[in-house]
Amino acid sequence: MLQLHFTNDTLPDNVSTDFQNLNKLSEQLHIVLLPHQSERFLRQLTEFAGENGMSAGPLRALMKSVLLLPHGALKRNLTAEQVKADLLSLGLNEDKARHFSDQWRIHYPVLSRLAVGQTLMVNQLVDMEWKFGVTVGTSELQKTGNIFLQLKLVIRKGNTTENVYMELTLPQFYNFLHEMERAKASMDCFS
Amino acid sequence: MAFLTEDQFTALQLLLKAPSKDAVRQICTESYPAGASKSQSIAEKTANALSVSNSEAMQLLTAFHMLSHHVVYQNLTSPEQILPIFPESFHSNLKNLITKIILENSVTWRNEALSSQISLPKLVDLEWRVDMKTASDSLSRMAVPTCLLQMKLQDTPCISGGPSESTVTMELSKETLDTMIDGLGRIRDQLSAVARK
Repeated sequence: MLQLHFTNDTLPDNVSTDFQNLNKLSEQLHIVLLPHQSERFLRQLTEFAGENGMSAGPLRALMKSVLLLPHGALKRNLTAEQVKADLLSLGLNEDKARHFSDQWRIHYPVLSRLAVGQTLMVNQLVDMEWKFGVTVGTSELQKTGNIFLQLKLVIRKGNTTENVYMELTLPQFYNFLHEMERAKASMDCFS
Repeated sequence: MAFLTEDQFTALQLLLKAPSKDAVRQICTESYPAGASKSQSIAEKTANALSVSNSEAMQLLTAFHMLSHHVVYQNLTSPEQILPIFPESFHSNLKNLITKIILENSVTWRNEALSSQISLPKLVDLEWRVDMKTASDSLSRMAVPTCLLQMKLQDTPCISGGPSESTVTMELSKETLDTMIDGLGRIRDQLSAVARK
């Protein structure tokens, strides 16, 4: 049984065959493997297959196995050396393994930032709009002059967004700003 | 300025039947709120206090309601502005007493009007919490701070019905929080620019 860094599970047999088959590809595949962009990736694969005169089907199947490694490596925060070691254990030749691990070193920060960005967020605040003004008169008071602040917060709930409207008086606004600055100070402690 | 009819001024003079100045004061303050001039219970109370009929009490309440709302609307702040409203024939001591009562209460009434005017739901309470995300399905080890914010909003309808409260909870990443504070800072700068003018 292969001891691999990127996963503890037993890999199905075809996976190591697929990695060995990667050696057969004479072209270098320069791709940034983003975990959740499989559709775009599959399209690029089909184009690549077309350009190089091979059928898309087996290529796609091969790539599905190959993708297991970057997904697992990202999840476990593997270094480039560990990725290279796994690739070699799986039977990829030295050249391609080195190339892949170099690409991994270069693109790793972007990939992990993207993975963080895709982490679950509940009711994420997406946008904030505001306006403030002066109330000039009401049905009860012919002339007034008090300041109001209106906020519109756009919150993502699943696939749709919800707008929340509210009004604040000046003291409430200053309190709100103060509380948000305290929250920011608390967050800054951790980074 | 005869926006109150003669009948209404006559109705106001029913207050002369009140047992004491405090009774007058009480009738006046009770008749200010929006639905008061149509309320049966207040009319009955007034009718009993003054020993007059219910319909006469209603007329009195409506008259005082119109007078006091007029003073608050126009923001009349001195006796010299209020006294000319009454007709020449009006009982002079009662006129002074009514004016005094209205002036005593006008600031409170004005502030109440300001706080219960039409508005979007008002922010009543605010709570926040900073969490640290340590793992997810795409990363088994991470250290990402995130902020949870809960706001309580109260919507008070002007016309009828009671206040309704709603709660909104949202999550902000560090970037979102920074951007929000930027925006709030800009509001604060504009507010102080306006205040300086």
